[in-house]
Amino acid sequence: MTDLYEPLLRPYDEKRRAELVAAFTAVEHAAEPVAELRYPALREPALRRVLGEMLALQGRVLIRARPKEWTSGYHDDVAAALAADPACVPPAEERAVLALVLIHSVAIPRASGLLDDDSWLSPHPTPLEELRRRSQLPIGELEAALRRLRNAGLVGQVKAGGDDAGGYVPGPQFHRLTAGARRRLQEELILAAGPDSPLAAAIRARRRGRTAPPADPSRDRERTP
Amino acid sequence: MTPDEHHVDPQVLARARARVLGAPSQPAADPVPPGLTAASDGDRVWLLPAWPDGATPALLEEYDTAPMPLDRAGQARRVLAAALRCCWTRPDDAPWPSGDAQVTDVLEVYAGMSRGDADLARRWATGELRRLADTGWLLVDETAGTVRTGPRTALWHEDTLASLRDLLRRLPAPPASRPEAAAP
Repeated sequence: MTDLYEPLLRPYDEKRRAELVAAFTAVEHAAEPVAELRYPALREPALRRVLGEMLALQGRVLIRARPKEWTSGYHDDVAAALAADPACVPPAEERAVLALVLIHSVAIPRASGLLDDDSWLSPHPTPLEELRRRSQLPIGELEAALRRLRNAGLVGQVKAGGDDAGGYVPGPQFHRLTAGARRRLQEELILAAGPDSPLAAAIRARRRGRTAPPADPSRDRERTP
Repeated sequence: MTPDEHHVDPQVLARARARVLGAPSQPAADPVPPGLTAASDGDRVWLLPAWPDGATPALLEEYDTAPMPLDRAGQARRVLAAALRCCWTRPDDAPWPSGDAQVTDVLEVYAGMSRGDADLARRWATGELRRLADTGWLLVDETAGTVRTGPRTALWHEDTLASLRDLLRRLPAPPASRPEAAAP
């Protein structure tokens, strides 16, 4: 098999090449965003551009998660194409459990001013009991969904300790959202939590303006009481 | 009327899709998208990542960078070792693809490696086998009660296998193969 990355790496000497490969491996596989201090290819704009091209071959982009810290995620167009492929969409139980974790660990604390506006990570765990009650899933199915979500890094478990009952928080994959993906997630949560709110109406109007009108324009009005 | 067309190179999309799905499999006759590593057992082929210059995620260790966290990593490794002890019966060959081993044998080997309650050890190992199957390290057929190595083991470099072979030789041997393994 010919090496996919060879044309991009060939111009560089051994040292630069190793730095590019190390930075690529780090942003793709590390749990958390990595510091550019440790990876020269993240520090230097010219090498960072090559790194971006290496990631683009996988449908990925470089994401600055915090100042001087980097990770990678799917390009918005690739994410949209994958989401349109039924095989790539997680089953309904997993999506339901993940949505509950996002509501309890992010949306509610954010509405109370306990979390900043543009992060999907949270120190506020969603208790297992809450997931059980709200998801209405049999415990076996709930546990299987949580196991798969944890394997995928989409949720993390917080152990009980002190006054805290423990539970689940959004996992490290939430570092990997692009600005566009974070905005869409925020909008989806508003549409789900307050479909009749003025904010939801504004989101729907904006989406209609951006894309061709849906085949059935009455679809958006069905939610109106 | 088509919604928002996304112009994504089909080969790029195929690689992104393989990443999303973990290690997806397809009939061995289907073409493998370029830029992926193919692990075939004859009938099917599993699509795995191809890393630049063969660098594996183990490279992160050299940079003191934490990989994706794994719950109960020690237990997962020991159960994987017990499974390899049973499936990888010709250790001079590569671990992939392997023959089938009985899940009950893997549970026995694991129970023999752990101190304390053997029933509890078997129960833990059962959950761990499922997790290792979800992530492509093992292929488990729950109906048949069999397990074999997973496609991800095909990504192990030959020069890293020596210490693993040594380790496996030191593990308890699986019970002599019986046509009908006794239920625990």
